[in-house]
Amino acid sequence: MPPKIQPSIRMGELGVCRETGALRTLLGSCLGVALYDRKLRVAGLAHIVLPKATGTPELPGKYADTALPELIRQMQVAVPGANLKLTAKLAGGANMFNSISAPATIGEMNTQAVERILGELRIPVIGRHLGGEQGRRMTLDAATGQVTIEIASSESTVL
Amino acid sequence: MQHGTNRRMLSPEQLTALTDLFRIGATEATAALSRWLGRPARMTVERVDQLALADATEVLGDSESPIAACVMSMRGRVTGQLILAFDDASGLSLADLLLEKPSGTSTAWGEIERSAAQETANIVGCVYLNALSRSFHDGTATHEVLPSPPQFTHDYPQSLLQFALMNQAAASDLVFLTETQFHIDGSPVNWNLLFIPDADCVATIENLLLFGMK
Repeated sequence: MPPKIQPSIRMGELGVCRETGALRTLLGSCLGVALYDRKLRVAGLAHIVLPKATGTPELPGKYADTALPELIRQMQVAVPGANLKLTAKLAGGANMFNSISAPATIGEMNTQAVERILGELRIPVIGRHLGGEQGRRMTLDAATGQVTIEIASSESTVL
Repeated sequence: MQHGTNRRMLSPEQLTALTDLFRIGATEATAALSRWLGRPARMTVERVDQLALADATEVLGDSESPIAACVMSMRGRVTGQLILAFDDASGLSLADLLLEKPSGTSTAWGEIERSAAQETANIVGCVYLNALSRSFHDGTATHEVLPSPPQFTHDYPQSLLQFALMNQAAASDLVFLTETQFHIDGSPVNWNLLFIPDADCVATIENLLLFGMK
């Protein structure tokens, strides 16, 4: 039986679930960051829009530098007292229209910012599905940590 | 690059004033669309609003099925994106209509069906934008709008909107957009025309509302 999928995580939002269920988001030029602890089976997914916030943003999930600490904090709340050992998988950053170039730059900046922050936090990135010209549906299965990437009219890919 | 300042909300009175301007564009585009299709068409401005970012990505519905869309990039007096979107059934019916085939003949987005959608977007979009550029004229010499040729895509609606909203999202958690719906032969069809200005254009619109148009 496929995992029960929670409501889609929208632009600038975060989600966490544990042991069962799945987290899903639809991505264009934004970056989806899936964090997972295989032993504790706690899963977190962020839909990041921009690399860096100014001050304290109302939407911490919107920015790479505030989304990742907030996502880890929420995952820790789900397993209080446990020592999280996380891995990361990244998807998104599409440049969907050739004539509109600015967001592609932001997509690359988001990826660089996320990879830098994950490096500082010693969280290894073990899967990537980035770039291209089409949107993606990214689904994180809390039971297995498996990330499935679907692109319209294409075969799905498992990270 | 740092981001995160929030633009102010437009007042209800300002949004009403803007709705009147967008209705002028819709009225002119209605006439062009009716001529193009050879049958009565009507475009209705359904929404002129500022929305939270996450809510704005769902204005084409929260369906996870891909939709068809033609995207025009706008340059000049009005900048941003204009998107004509339709679900597959409605878009392929449009192709049948223009190709003078019985409804239901087209079942996939081949080159000719895409071309029919793009040409429709081109006609509707150019007339709509020309009317808007006149409405937004502030007396300066340059008020032209230069739309790019429509690019066809078949993708998830939320992904498409994310991309189009990215420029505004860099400036604010609130985004401005307008939504126009369609009737053909007196019946509603699942088409949607979205006007999504970039952050500079939103600022221009705000200034025009504050200081007036000529």
